[in-house]
Amino acid sequence: MIELRDVHKRYRTTHGAGRWVLKGITLDIPAQRSVGLLGANGEGKSTLLRLIGGIDTPTKGKVVRHCRTSWPLGLAGGLQSALTGRQNATFVCRIHGQEADIPEKLAFIADFAEIGAAFDEPIKTYSSGMQARLKFAMSMAFDFEVYLVDELTSVGDAAFRKKARAAFNQLADRSSVIMVSHGESTLREFCESGIWLRDGHAHWFDKLDDALAHYKESIHT
Amino acid sequence: MFPAPCERPRRRPLTPSSLPRPPSASPRSALQVSLSVWRALFMREALSRVSSQRFGWVWLLLQPVVHIALLMLLFSTLRQRTLAGADFALFLALGLLGYQLFTNTAQRSASALAANRGLLAYRQVLPVDTVLVRAVVEGSLQLLVGLALLSGAALFRFDVLPHDPLLALEAYLLLWLFGSGLGLALSVGYALVPEIEKIMGFVFMPLYFASGVLFSPAAMPARLQEWLLYNPIVHGLELGRAAFFPGYHLVQGLSAGYLASFGLAFWLLGLALHRRFAIQVAAQ
Repeated sequence: MIELRDVHKRYRTTHGAGRWVLKGITLDIPAQRSVGLLGANGEGKSTLLRLIGGIDTPTKGKVVRHCRTSWPLGLAGGLQSALTGRQNATFVCRIHGQEADIPEKLAFIADFAEIGAAFDEPIKTYSSGMQARLKFAMSMAFDFEVYLVDELTSVGDAAFRKKARAAFNQLADRSSVIMVSHGESTLREFCESGIWLRDGHAHWFDKLDDALAHYKESIHT
Repeated sequence: MFPAPCERPRRRPLTPSSLPRPPSASPRSALQVSLSVWRALFMREALSRVSSQRFGWVWLLLQPVVHIALLMLLFSTLRQRTLAGADFALFLALGLLGYQLFTNTAQRSASALAANRGLLAYRQVLPVDTVLVRAVVEGSLQLLVGLALLSGAALFRFDVLPHDPLLALEAYLLLWLFGSGLGLALSVGYALVPEIEKIMGFVFMPLYFASGVLFSPAAMPARLQEWLLYNPIVHGLELGRAAFFPGYHLVQGLSAGYLASFGLAFWLLGLALHRRFAIQVAAQ
């Protein structure tokens, strides 16, 4: 379960504090429940995902993770461009305390990413698609209980997207996802419930369809 | 209009505790996480420091050697070979190594955050981790460079063994402490006020001349000595030399405690700044 307690967030801008992006969100996101985050651009979907992932801190309130949560997949960053794919993967294994399983994990990542000899080349020589493959493969190497996903399925070519979907579906019995996406079909495929963000407030819906209906109605009015 | 949406789930599904968990689910302690992050960052930093350029190791060693050789060439034509009871080549080498230990540690750890920003995408990695690890990497690297340089000099029959090894250890350790403390504090400064980085560029340049790398403060006029002794680096460099040369002529008022208090004060300030501005530093 992930607890959000009165989470407020605003960013610092060059001229003082910015507007409130999130204005007091209190939610329990149950484990084993895949959730889609809905909302128009700039409503704070990615911000909320970053807060859940613990790579940003709420201005007010708190976030408590009771389960092993992945880093937000699909966001920029997470790779060091001067190092090779293998070295980056090793780094991620180490910070997750999987020192003993490194050879095994590296073999898995190299195999899953399907980037061939490029695995031993510096990241700066990678295309954005190759980076996405590597990052996705790295996240699949650890058994997280909750995967945080930001528009992930829009990257990579068709073949890799298919593979990513298959991998996610396989995970579905022991893991869940919290997903930001504008693709309705993607959301329907992976998520049961929905959170609709509007004006800095979050609205929870047990059924994704209800969340989608409210979201769509809000953009048409 | 649509009905008012509810804020909470209407029906609570299975609680996580009722579900079987894989054996690895026991969360690591904060210390375990920090230790594994430091280890991972250390490997990463060391690797990129020596492998980002071709012949990374060679450049690391060549830089001080060429620097010393040029200075030797310049000074041997200008003045005598010994100075204040010390061999001049070794005198320069010790000064330069100590000075490099300080500035490289300070400057590289201050810029650690900018270089590792991408890695903050993992919540295990905190900004302060990148700075601390870089200070240790740079310190170890400078130690290796120093050992390599002195071993090289020993081949040319220089007397490179310190007669007071403990004092040598103390002097260089304190220089590192000051450098890393300054780096810690500056790293927050660079992140919050980028202009500080430009200003520090102006500060580091004259520091080289005001730290007694090229001269012995003992050979300076008394009034200048007084001013020089305000600079904590002078204390470190002179004590380091005194540890190597038995009859080295020291100025009055050198104190390891003076340098140590600068080091500790900056560490305290740096850690406090990282704590106080944690959110602002991690953002961007």
